[in-house]
Amino acid sequence: MRQRHRERVLEFLRTIQKPDRPLAAVAETDSLVEAGLIDSLALLEIVAFLEEQYRIDFAATGLEPELLTSVSGILDLIERESR
Amino acid sequence: MSLASGFAETARRLGQLHEDPAVVARWQAWTGPLLSRLTPPRRRALLALGALYVVVRRPLKEMAPAVDARAPAGPLVGAMVVVLCLVVVALAYLAARRFASLPAVVRGRPQLWLHGGFWAIVVLGWLVPDRGGAVALTFWGLVLALPLLLWRMGYLLLSGQRGRMASTRFSDHLLYLYPAYGGSNTPYGKGLDHLARHEAGTDEALARSQLAGLKLLLLAAIYHGLLDLMAGLVYAETRAPLSAHGLGLSRLEALLPAAGRAPWTAAWAALYAGLVWDVLKLAARGHEIVGILRVFGFNVFRNTYKPLLAPSVVEFWNRYYYYFKELLVEFFFFPTYVRRFRHHPRLRILAATLAAAGLGNLYYHLLQNDAFLLTLDWAGLRPWLEARAFYCLALALGIYVSMRREQRRRGATAATASLPTRVRRIAGVWTFFALISIWADASSATFGQRVEFFVSLFGLR
Repeated sequence: MRQRHRERVLEFLRTIQKPDRPLAAVAETDSLVEAGLIDSLALLEIVAFLEEQYRIDFAATGLEPELLTSVSGILDLIERESR
Repeated sequence: MSLASGFAETARRLGQLHEDPAVVARWQAWTGPLLSRLTPPRRRALLALGALYVVVRRPLKEMAPAVDARAPAGPLVGAMVVVLCLVVVALAYLAARRFASLPAVVRGRPQLWLHGGFWAIVVLGWLVPDRGGAVALTFWGLVLALPLLLWRMGYLLLSGQRGRMASTRFSDHLLYLYPAYGGSNTPYGKGLDHLARHEAGTDEALARSQLAGLKLLLLAAIYHGLLDLMAGLVYAETRAPLSAHGLGLSRLEALLPAAGRAPWTAAWAALYAGLVWDVLKLAARGHEIVGILRVFGFNVFRNTYKPLLAPSVVEFWNRYYYYFKELLVEFFFFPTYVRRFRHHPRLRILAATLAAAGLGNLYYHLLQNDAFLLTLDWAGLRPWLEARAFYCLALALGIYVSMRREQRRRGATAATASLPTRVRRIAGVWTFFALISIWADASSATFGQRVEFFVSLFGLR
């Protein structure tokens, strides 16, 4: 299941990442913002993506922006909210 | 390799010295067993020890404008304020630890309850009949001392809300609630969650963090030197070096009350010079604070990172005062973003930006307005409020427009823009922030005088 989520998340991240940085070069636990792959504005789009695709209601669960800056953080959140 | 590219490469290597494995290894060898002894718990303990001094020192410093320590009631009031501040912090800690068992109405909006509690103290202080008595002075002291703690307690409650309190002790939280490394009402390094995430866990990581911290401390010293030079060469301030050769430029606060009677060249020069001065000053102070944090193994982001080279308004805002921006993002932007206008993407971003850079920014500065907090004099607040509210609105709209442009521009990186384009963008950012600073300057000028000054910049009187 996590693998399927990963593919979906990576596919989405490719649509918002900066074009001159390879997504594959960043470790799953690394911050995508610190690695220069996305800017902080992209976080807004990640939130909207998770709300739309996974029906996560951040108004109810609370939002910790730093958790959304790494692929593993996003996947952990999806798994936690899918339970 | 040209001279310019050679110079750039040398500068880049010098800037990244702390990442060079050979330099890190040499630092480890040089500091020897000291690094191994400075384990994370010991480093935290050292900062917590420093916090014990700040527990006493900082409230006394904050309340000084209202309470004279030499007055008969001074020492008693001082002691009361120090103890009561600590009691408030302890209550916030307990609330965060037992967050899940708090009433649902508090759990839903903990920040609102925190700030509501503060305003209750402000109103109670205002209602106390005997204005010169010990009770009234204690309230005044609290009203002036608590704003330093408010946003820090906000991060503490966020920790509780996110279930991160279990493995932490009160002393861990003391180190950022009463920061021995310094800081304003804005918590540099944020709360324990953020600090812990960037805490060095190995000797090598500590060495790297310390080298990065020392670099910032060195940069801070250089910036202080530049500020001194600027005070002499640009403003010709008599106590500054080389002031005899200075241009003698006026500062913005001196020109504003003249409401546009200064030559337009002097007015524009004051605006741009003021922007550079503000950036240097903030960077120097921020580098000192973050530098100390890094020496203690908390390798957190800089507060200021080359904002004068930012190619967009939103980028400048991100790089100029990082921890203030983060405060506004965590406490105002995202709470609005996840709750309001979810099916209207543009309106959603606009509302969140207005909540953070507009309303949140205005509220943050209101908490620094000592005269208002002590008197609740709305009529006296008006000149400040008009100017500051206009500044916050202009800033928020500027950031919103810039965010939208950046979103549309995504795909074309700054590196692909030509040099003239990049220079034009940077100049635009300078001009935007210089112009809105007319309404942020702390001078006593009225809103009308500030508008007159603004129109005089374009030859209109």
